[in-house]
Amino acid sequence: MRFVKAICAAMTMSIATMGVTLPTSANDDGPIIAISGPLSWPFFAAVKQGFDDASETFGLDYQYVAVTDTANMTSDYPRLLQQAISRNPRMLLVGEFFPDGMDPLIKEATAAGIPVLIHNSGQTLWEQNGSIGFIGEDPFQMGYKAGEIHARLGVKKGLCFNQVPGNPTVEERCTGYVAAMKEAGLETIYQTIGTGDATNPQAMTQAIKGTLQANNDIDGIYTLNAVPAMSALRAVDEVGRKGEVIVGTADLSNEALEAIKTGDLAFAMDQQPYLQGFMSIQIAYQFLNFGLQPIGHVKTGPLVIDQSNVDHTLDVNKKHAGVRGAS
Amino acid sequence: MMSFVRKPEFGAIAAFLLTYLFFTFATSGTGFVSVNGTAGWLNLAAELGIVAIPVGLLMISGEFDLSIGSTVGAASMIVALGTNHFGVPIWPTIALALMAGMLIGLCNGLAVVKTNLPSFIVTLATNFIVIGATMGFSRLIANVTSSSIVSSESAKLLFAARWGQANISVLWWGIATAIGFWVLSRAVFGNWIYATGGNLQAARSAGVPVDRVKIILFMATGFAAAFVGIMQGIQWNSGNSTYGMGYVFQAPIVVVIGGILLTGGYGTVTGIFFGTALFGVISTGIFYTGWNTDWVQLFLGVLLGAAVLANNYVRRLALTSR
Repeated sequence: MRFVKAICAAMTMSIATMGVTLPTSANDDGPIIAISGPLSWPFFAAVKQGFDDASETFGLDYQYVAVTDTANMTSDYPRLLQQAISRNPRMLLVGEFFPDGMDPLIKEATAAGIPVLIHNSGQTLWEQNGSIGFIGEDPFQMGYKAGEIHARLGVKKGLCFNQVPGNPTVEERCTGYVAAMKEAGLETIYQTIGTGDATNPQAMTQAIKGTLQANNDIDGIYTLNAVPAMSALRAVDEVGRKGEVIVGTADLSNEALEAIKTGDLAFAMDQQPYLQGFMSIQIAYQFLNFGLQPIGHVKTGPLVIDQSNVDHTLDVNKKHAGVRGAS
Repeated sequence: MMSFVRKPEFGAIAAFLLTYLFFTFATSGTGFVSVNGTAGWLNLAAELGIVAIPVGLLMISGEFDLSIGSTVGAASMIVALGTNHFGVPIWPTIALALMAGMLIGLCNGLAVVKTNLPSFIVTLATNFIVIGATMGFSRLIANVTSSSIVSSESAKLLFAARWGQANISVLWWGIATAIGFWVLSRAVFGNWIYATGGNLQAARSAGVPVDRVKIILFMATGFAAAFVGIMQGIQWNSGNSTYGMGYVFQAPIVVVIGGILLTGGYGTVTGIFFGTALFGVISTGIFYTGWNTDWVQLFLGVLLGAAVLANNYVRRLALTSR
């Protein structure tokens, strides 16, 4: 019993000290910590590739921190950030995926003098939280661009299919898509799927097929990832409306690129994840050594890939696996 | 009539019929009950069903397997890396993937029977280990976490052939169900499964090789999960380490809807079959209704709760009234 009490006391003490070990200033010998997305997603595998290559190019060591289990990301990411801050880092390179939990911590870090550079997500927040800059896409603009392309191609009623409901950054793409379509005076439908099926292409196919059957005037689909894009193509084929429904997607995969080549897929939008990682380290190197930094938002997307430039993208993909975030 | 009502699968069959009837009316005019609509929900149910049959048998023997999710992804990546990165023909990589699935099952089984730890925890750990290893090795070998698959005509015929819009997976689901049915209700091994899950000590003293029963079932589960991983990979021309993560809980869910007791020793393969079919109808049918899709999971949860309550009632009926 005394043993249990001792453990409890020790735990309480360590929790108490954890709360007060926030640093007073950045440590010049501290690590450079990148808090970024889960490596199970090809997208973030490319981000890490960019980090790694730049780290070698500039001779700057860094540590990549990410969740492995994507079930509780909303609470896991603030925790990872908290742990990183308490290690007295020299600089933090943060993907601000979940602003509600992460933004107050970033403010604490910048107030304590730790330089923070944001990448991928957090494009509307970095100026207020004291970060030195932002590298990445604006998800709203990405979706907006997709809406514009659909409108130009003559889509009358577009479906935005979101396979990860609840992620604000991803949802923002659909918001942008809907906004662009609305401005052009066109209709949209927003569709989600149960979280357990986000990685099941069969389930996504059947879900999109059902929606196409229930709304047979849908003539455009915008998916937020390359895997559901392939499901959307299959669903369109199964309801016998191939060629009538224009499918476009965010992000890339080898299959999606091949489908662009054959003309089944109208476009894919690349936010060039490799650049997000590479430029984060590059800016960190130049900032820490020379005090130099870009002023304002560094945009890496969207780069639209369609039949005009797909061949080159496929070539790069074969020669440098993982760099395009498509495999 | 009462003897039918007392069967473990009654709840699942009744729930399936009611749900199907419900969606027939709720989706009228959208082709849910057409040949192509039926092929749609069968395709979805079949892939889950192939895994759910051995998972159900395992649960009847009193054990869980949560490592199925990552085994599906690992198998698809073995085929993808083998064919795309190393240029190996597809059949040897398929054999390797199936063996890997059985090896994962063997490790699960040995860990559970040697340590007597709850399989819920052991296989949850395996689930993380396998997906972590899959990603780590994929990055190390080819610098990717998903990769294209170079297939062959014969492999496509067995794993991705289609009649109209129905996948060959539906046929494999039927075969898996038939094998499961035969094992559980006709073979001696089936009695051993019930005995192991019903009363472990009694089974052991009666001479049932309970450890072997569990290890074989774990291996069968790993095999089925790998099989589905290969099938998804070939069907979508791509391996992905996250394929199948939804199955971790979907498979036990359909097994429980099918009337299997979480504590083991009770249930039938017919029940698992209809539990899976019910899941396929709900998760596909709701999209044909055109309702707001934010409600999908609420609906699934309510139906799951109702199915479990109904099963509980049926089972009490079976155990008390004569």
